[in-house]
Amino acid sequence: MSMIQQTKARGRASGLSRAFSFIGEFFAGTAEAFRKGDLWTRLSALISGAGFFARGQIVRGVIKTLLEALVIYLIPAFMAPNLSRFGTLGTVVAQKTFDPVTRKNVWNNYDNSFLILLYSVMSLALIIVAVALWMKNMRAAYEVQRLKESGKHINSFRNDVSDLLNRRFHITLLSLPTLGVVLFIIIPLIVMILIAFTNYDHDHLPPNALFTWVGFNNFKSLFNMTAESSFGYSFAHVLGWTLTWAVLATFTCFILGILMAMFINNRNTLGKRFWRTCFMVTMAVPQFVSLLLVRNFFANQGIVNTICKNVGLTDWLYGIGAIPTANYIPFLTNPAWARPMIILINIWVGIPYQMLIATGILMNIPADLTEAARIDGANAWQSFWHITMPYILFVMGPSLVNSVVANINNFNVIYLLSHDVYVTQNQLMANANASEVDLLITWLFGLTQDRQNYKMASVIGILVFVVCAIITLFAFNRMIKGDKEESFQ
Amino acid sequence: MTHAEHVNKPSRKKIVRMTIRHVVLALLAAFWLIPILWLLLNAFSVDKGPNLSHFFPQAFTLDHFRNILLPGGDSVNQFPRWFLNTLIVGCFNCVISSAFVLMVAYAMSCMRFRARKPMMNVAIILNLFPGFLSMIAVYFILKEFGLTNSLTGLVIVYSAGSGMGYLIAKGFFDTISKSLREAAWIEGANEFTVFWKIILPLAKPIIVYTVINAFLAPWMDFVMASLMLNSGVSSGKTVALGLFAMVDKVNRNNYFGEFCAGGVIVSIPISILFVIMQKFYVEGITGGSVKG
Repeated sequence: MSMIQQTKARGRASGLSRAFSFIGEFFAGTAEAFRKGDLWTRLSALISGAGFFARGQIVRGVIKTLLEALVIYLIPAFMAPNLSRFGTLGTVVAQKTFDPVTRKNVWNNYDNSFLILLYSVMSLALIIVAVALWMKNMRAAYEVQRLKESGKHINSFRNDVSDLLNRRFHITLLSLPTLGVVLFIIIPLIVMILIAFTNYDHDHLPPNALFTWVGFNNFKSLFNMTAESSFGYSFAHVLGWTLTWAVLATFTCFILGILMAMFINNRNTLGKRFWRTCFMVTMAVPQFVSLLLVRNFFANQGIVNTICKNVGLTDWLYGIGAIPTANYIPFLTNPAWARPMIILINIWVGIPYQMLIATGILMNIPADLTEAARIDGANAWQSFWHITMPYILFVMGPSLVNSVVANINNFNVIYLLSHDVYVTQNQLMANANASEVDLLITWLFGLTQDRQNYKMASVIGILVFVVCAIITLFAFNRMIKGDKEESFQ
Repeated sequence: MTHAEHVNKPSRKKIVRMTIRHVVLALLAAFWLIPILWLLLNAFSVDKGPNLSHFFPQAFTLDHFRNILLPGGDSVNQFPRWFLNTLIVGCFNCVISSAFVLMVAYAMSCMRFRARKPMMNVAIILNLFPGFLSMIAVYFILKEFGLTNSLTGLVIVYSAGSGMGYLIAKGFFDTISKSLREAAWIEGANEFTVFWKIILPLAKPIIVYTVINAFLAPWMDFVMASLMLNSGVSSGKTVALGLFAMVDKVNRNNYFGEFCAGGVIVSIPISILFVIMQKFYVEGITGGSVKG
C-alpha cells in the first residue's frame, strides 16, 4: 500500500469515526440531560417547552411546544394510516358504484399505492427529524438550566433572533434551500428507489389499480442476459453505448476544442477575432433549435441527401455496400451511421463551448513556463505535451470527470436527434422500448412516457447512479487526487 | 539565417504554410456555419416545409416571421404565448434560484458549522442521480395538488432543488480574502451585514453568471418541461416544447419555416445573455483556478 493510499484510508476512517462519535455524543448528551437535569428539564421530555418556560424563555417555549403538538397531531392524522399500509401498499381496489339517490357514480374509499408509498416515506422522514429534534431539545433545555444555575446570561427571544443573523446565520441561509432539496429531490428520489422493488407499471397504475412489493424481481429481469430476455439484452447494449458515447463525446470535444483554440490563437493566424466569431455563431442558436434543425438537415429525404444524390455520392456508397438502399444515405436511421453521426453532431455543438473555455485557460498559462521551455530548446510539440496539456488537465481535470457524468445523462442530444427519427429494427430491443442509439437516460424517459413502466425506469435510474458513482470515485482516486495542487502555483 | 531575419522575410515555405492554415480554418468555419445559414434561409424562404431539392430557396419572404409573431387561433403555433410563458417561468426561477444558490454558497464558503462537510457530501451524492429520476415522483406529487400543466409547477421544478448548484459560486466566494470579513467583524458587523454589504457587492461577476444561468434554464430545458406540461395544449407550452411540436412528423411539412423563424427570434436575446454569461463564467473558473 502506497503512502498516499494509507493517508487516504486513514482520512476515510477518521471521517467515518467522526460521524459515529458525533451520533454517539448526541445520544450521550441526551442521556446526560436526563440524568443531571432538574424536574423542569426532565419534564421537557413530555412537554418540550417546559424547560424554557421555567427559565423565562417564554416565546422559545411556546414555539417548541407548538411544534410538538403539531407532530403529535400528525401521528393519527397522517403517519399511522399510511405507515400501517406500507407493508402491502394498499388492499382496497378502486370501484365505481352508481348511487340511485344522487344519480351519480360514487367511488369507494380506495387505496392509492403511490400516495401510500409517498406519504409513508414522508412520515418516516418526519419521525427521524422529530426524534432528532426531541433529543436536541432535551440537550438545549439542560444547557439553559446550567446557564441559569451558574448565573450566566440567558438569551431573550430578541437575542435568539439576532443570533440567526450572526453566529447562526447559516441556519437562516440554509433552511429554505435545504427544505426545497429535501421535499423535491431527496424524498422523491427515495420514493423512486423504492419503486424499483415494486410492480408499478402499465398494468398496476394507481388510482385504478394497486401495486405492491416484488423484491428484486425487476433487477433479476434486467440482469437476465439470456437471449429471450429483452430487458437484459437491451440493458447490455444500451449500457455499452452509453459508456462509449460518454467517453467519446467528452474526449473528442475536449481535445478538438483545445486544438482548435490553439490553432486560432497561434501567432501565425491572421484575423483571430473573425475566426473565433465564426465558431461562436453556432452558440447563439439554442441547442434544441440547432439539434432539431440538424436532424432535418440530415433527414432521409433532407437537403444533404439530395445533394449527395446529385453529386453521385449516394450511388457510390451503395456500390461499395456502405448503405442498404440506393435512394438515400441513412444518416440518422441506420445504427452503423447514426452512432458516428450523433458523435459528429455533438462535436459540432460542443466544440465552440470547449474552445471558449480553452481560450480562457490558454491565456492564463504562465508565460515564463513556455518561455523557459523554448529557451531550453523544446519544440512546439514538446511544449504542448509537457506544459500546455498538463496545465489544462490541472485546471479542467475535475470538470472533465463531471462532463463524462453529464454526458452519461446527456438527454438533449440523443433525444432531439433520434426521437421520431430512429426506429430500431431489433425486435428484442423494441420489446423493451430501447433502441441502438438510446442512452440509459433516454431509455428511462421513453419507458415512463411511452410505456408507463415505472418499475424498470427506476431500476435503470439506480444503475445510472451506480455507473456515475463508480466513474467519479475511480477518476478522483486515480487522476485528480494526489498532491498536484501546488505544481502550477 | 538569424531569427530576426526569419520573421522579417517570410520564406516561400512559410507562405505555403500560412495559406494551408487559413484554408483549413475557412473549411472548418464553413462546416460550422452552413447549418446556421440553412436556418436563416429557411426562415426567409417561401417554402412551408424544409426545402428538399435546393439549398437556396426559390424566393424570399417575411411570411414566416409574420405568422409566428401574429399566429391568431392557430392550434400548433402559439409562439407569443410560449415566449410569455417561458419569460414568466424564467423571471421567477431567476429570483428564487439565484437567491438559493448565493445563500448556500455563502454558508458553505464563509461559515463553519458541524453539518457543513456532511451536507456538501450529500450534495455530491445527490448530483450523481439522474435529475430526471426524482422528477418522475415530483410529477405525481404535483399532480396531486393540480400543479402539473401550470407555470407554478414548472417554477417549483426548476427552482426547488437549485440550492445544490452552489459549487461555482462557492468557488468564487472562496477566493475573496478572509481579512475583509475579519475587518468587518472588528467594526462590529454581524454575519448578515458581511454577506449583504461586503461579499455580495464583490461577487458581481458570479451574481451575473448565476442570474443569467437561472433565467436561461427554462429557455434551454426540454425534458422537465415535456414531463410537466403534457396536456398537449399549445398555449400552455414553453418555447422549447412548442418549437419541438412544430417539427414532429405531422407538422413538419407545414411549420418548418415558422420553426426556423421562431428559432431565429429566440436566438437573439438568448445569445446576448449567453455571451455576457460566458465571459463571466470563463473569468470565474480561470480566475479561481489560478488563485488556487
